[in-house]
Formats: sequence, structure tokens, C-alpha cells
Amino acid sequence: MKRTGFLYDDRFLLHKTGPYHPEVPERLTAVFQGIEESGLLDKLIRITASPADMKWILAVHAADYVKRFEAACRANKQMFESPDNQMCADTFEVARLAVGGILETARRLMAGELDNAFCAVRPPGHHAEANQAMGFCYFNNVAVAARYLQQEWGLRRIGIVDYDVHHGNGTQHIFEEDAGIYYYSIHQHPTFAYPGSGREFEYGRGAGYGFTKNSPVLPGLGDEDWKRLVERDLFPAFEGFKPEFILVSAGFDAHRDDDMSDIKLSTECYSWIMHKLVEMANTYTEGRLISVLEGGYSLRRLPELARNHVEILLNG
Amino acid sequence: MFVSRSMTRKVITVNPDTTIFEAQELMATNRIRHLPVVVADNTLVGIVTDRDLRSALPYRFFKEGITAAEKESLKNLRVKDIMTQKVISIPPAYTIQDALMVIQNARVGALPVVDDEGRLQGIISVRDLLRAFINVLGIGQPGTLLCILVEEKVGQLKRIVDAITEMGVSFGSVLVARYWDENKRAVFPYLLTQNVAQVKKKLQAMGYELLDPMQWYIDQLPEEERPPGKPKS
Repeated sequence: MKRTGFLYDDRFLLHKTGPYHPEVPERLTAVFQGIEESGLLDKLIRITASPADMKWILAVHAADYVKRFEAACRANKQMFESPDNQMCADTFEVARLAVGGILETARRLMAGELDNAFCAVRPPGHHAEANQAMGFCYFNNVAVAARYLQQEWGLRRIGIVDYDVHHGNGTQHIFEEDAGIYYYSIHQHPTFAYPGSGREFEYGRGAGYGFTKNSPVLPGLGDEDWKRLVERDLFPAFEGFKPEFILVSAGFDAHRDDDMSDIKLSTECYSWIMHKLVEMANTYTEGRLISVLEGGYSLRRLPELARNHVEILLNG
Repeated sequence: MFVSRSMTRKVITVNPDTTIFEAQELMATNRIRHLPVVVADNTLVGIVTDRDLRSALPYRFFKEGITAAEKESLKNLRVKDIMTQKVISIPPAYTIQDALMVIQNARVGALPVVDDEGRLQGIISVRDLLRAFINVLGIGQPGTLLCILVEEKVGQLKRIVDAITEMGVSFGSVLVARYWDENKRAVFPYLLTQNVAQVKKKLQAMGYELLDPMQWYIDQLPEEERPPGKPKS
């Protein structure tokens, strides 16, 4: 059995998004309960969060952006830069904690204390641009983790797999010129879904050209087509790239019971992708993989999805 | 919405006596396909396109090149010999919509923009119009597209816009398109939000039909391409 880390902290629940918003604390509670009730909690190595060193957040985000975000929170603003980004006075600190927890997880993994890990955090991160909050996201959790692994641990090839049903525009843009970070995303086709980027012909820019790959999925499609795209696009990409570390933007909103999208994945398909990612990690990265929660809004399905997710990491 | 705001102002032009080799060079270097032909005072007297040049020059010119003898025989050929003299042009006060209609009817790739005195002010190409259209669609901004089927009667769009606005959601654009049922219209709001599940629920509660995204189309299809199972209008 692998030494699987599990980052969860009750303080992640303090980020409140107000009425009519799907990115609610109950999501994380559902994730936690699913794992707890399955009896797997004792097998996981628990990690709690401490605030991130700002230097790592600033390795991704513009100083002015961080200032604006902090000031908006201090002023108790209910919204930051876009109506999607509903927040409360605690949001800045919670977002910083989430990043801090992920960095601590990455540190422990690189120090050999863990084999892999799942970070159940809020707020999510993959839509956050270097200088712009978007789509429920503030700090780009996975992007900061990738920069940390690059700069603190000298990793030269980091593979990011983003299977949230929405394209991770922030992550793609932050690394689009970086040949050391391969960004792969599979998501609902941008003509039919937020944020409208992640088209098939986006491959990165400059030195990073060829290190971005997107698989848009048409509305209404399910497991079979989705798996076929992953096999066609992700497998050969990582075979060529040979990542030294895999970061996963784990979004569960492509599930057929999630009303945030028109993609119809089964619970089994989410297990399939995790099995494949763990296999890939075993092949390329000595098992090193950290997954970070992004979207996923079906409170009914999140418990089973989270339970399966960590079970596969443990058995990986 | 005026052509003057979307056109290219710094136009690369030639005069009637420019050789076709010079014209070809200008197009290749600047990666353009249309050269307005002007005389003193920037008065437009013609237009020469890459197609005109392709017709005038041997096919091999664009491949392996031509011989010195062939070049010699063509060196006196001037723009005035091959240009279109009756140029379809538009005034700067035309709207983007006007330009779209003119371009479609005239089957050209670009329109010189000319003032009342016949002087060239700019040029608007299909590419400029595409850029404007992308802007109008709002697809440069992050958002989500919906497709709502509504009865063809007054006030429907207002109800939809009001309902969405009440939820604090901004619009990137709203398109209204024909539908195969002629008593209905397809409304495509592009909403600048990720949070559309609530919007969808609300619209459905109001009695609107949300179309399966795979059944959407922006333009009326010919009958044989109508989605399967849909009745004729």
C-alpha cells in the first residue's frame, strides 16, 4: 500500500460564496465524509494546512493582483473582479492556506515521506490567471505547486493533467511558454462551456509550443468517447514528455449527475482515469503524483468519487 | 459599428504604372491579397488582387520561378493592364453590417473604403470583419453559451434578459437565430459566468425549452441537413 497523503483542513470551509453559488463548503464536507465513512481515513497520512509563504504565490501571481485580492477581502467585499467570484472576509486567508497545504504536501512528497497525495481544498484554482480571478478561483493552486517543484526541487519536467469539465485557462496561460511544464486538459468543448478557451488548436507559445494539449469533448458524450480522447491525446503526450512529477487538477463536474456540464461520465470513468494516472506515475515519476480538487458540484456523487479517488492512490 | 472603426487605415497601395512584379512582391512581403490602385491625391482608380496576378503570371512563377526570357517578356506589364477598374468600394460611414452584405453579394475578399471625393481612406477585408464579429460574439471573454427556444412573439427576449439580469449575470452577447420551426426562434445568450446551472433551472421553470447543445445551429440549414427527427417547418 502506498503512503498517500490527504490534505484537508476545516478552515477550507470558511470561504463562503453566498446564495445561488455552487462552489459551497458542503462540497468539501461531502468529499471528507465520503472518505471518512469508507474507513479509509486511517490509512491516509493526514496533512493540515499552514499559510503559504507569499513568495511562492508571487512566483505565479502578479504582486498587484495579490494586493487587490487581499484589499478586497479586508474591505469585506462580497465579490472580487467577476460576479462568479463571490467571497467573504476569510477568502484570502483560506486561499493562502490551500496553497500552503499543497506546498507542504509537495515538500513531504519530495522529502520521501509520501508516495502520492490528494489535496481536498477550497477555493479551486485552475481558472485563476496570473493577474485575474475567474470562475470561482483565486490562487492557481496547481500552478503554484508546479513552480515550487521547479524552483525549490529543480524538477525539469512536470506534467499537469486537468480533467475538470472546464478548461483550466489559468494554468494553461501561466505555463504556455514553459517547455518544462506540460499542460493537458480534457473538458467540455469551449463553444458550449465556460471559459471558452482550450480549443484543440491551442498548443502553447514560443518555447512552450507543443507543451500544451487540449481535448475538447462535445456535449452529451460520455465514458467511451472521453476515454478514447485521453488515450489518443494524453498517453502519447506523456510518453514523449516523460514527466518527473504529475500534478492533477481533479474536477468531478463532468459526472453525469453534475449539472455544471453536459458531459456524462460515470463514477467508474473517474476511477478509470485515476488508475491510468497512477499507472503513468509508476512508469514515469516513481509514483510521484499529487491531485488537487478543482470543481465537482454534485453533493450526492462527491462522496463516492472522493472515496474511489483516494482508494486508487492508496492501492497505486 | 462603422467601417471606419474596423478598417485598416495604413493601406499599402500601388499606382497604375507599378509593374506586376513589384505588385507581387508587395503582396508577398506584406502577406496581403488586395492592392488598391491610386493616383495623385490618393484617388482610387482600381484594385489588383492576388488572383489577378496569378492569372497574369505563368503558373511556374509561383513554383520554381521563370526564365530570364519570360521575365523580360513580362517586365512591361503594368498594374493598369490587369487591374479591376470598376472597383466595388464603400464609404467610411457604412456599418459593419453593410460591409458584410456588400462583401457577400459582390463575392470579394476586401472592400476599399473611399470618401465622397473618391479618395482612399482605408480597406476592410474579410479578416477585419471576422475580427469584428468575434468581438460582437464576445467569445474572446470567458463565458458560457446557452440556447433557448422561444415562441416567435413580442417580449420573449425581454423576459429572458430580465430573468438572467436579476441573477446578477452579465451578457457577452445575445444572438437570435432562425429555427427550423418557423414559429420559433433560437436565442443564444453568451453569459459571462461559469455559474449557469441556476440560470438554466430558472429559465426552465419559466417554461422555456433549453436545446440540446448538439442540436444548436446559428444559421438555417438546408432541408436535407435538418437534424434527424425534427419536423419540417
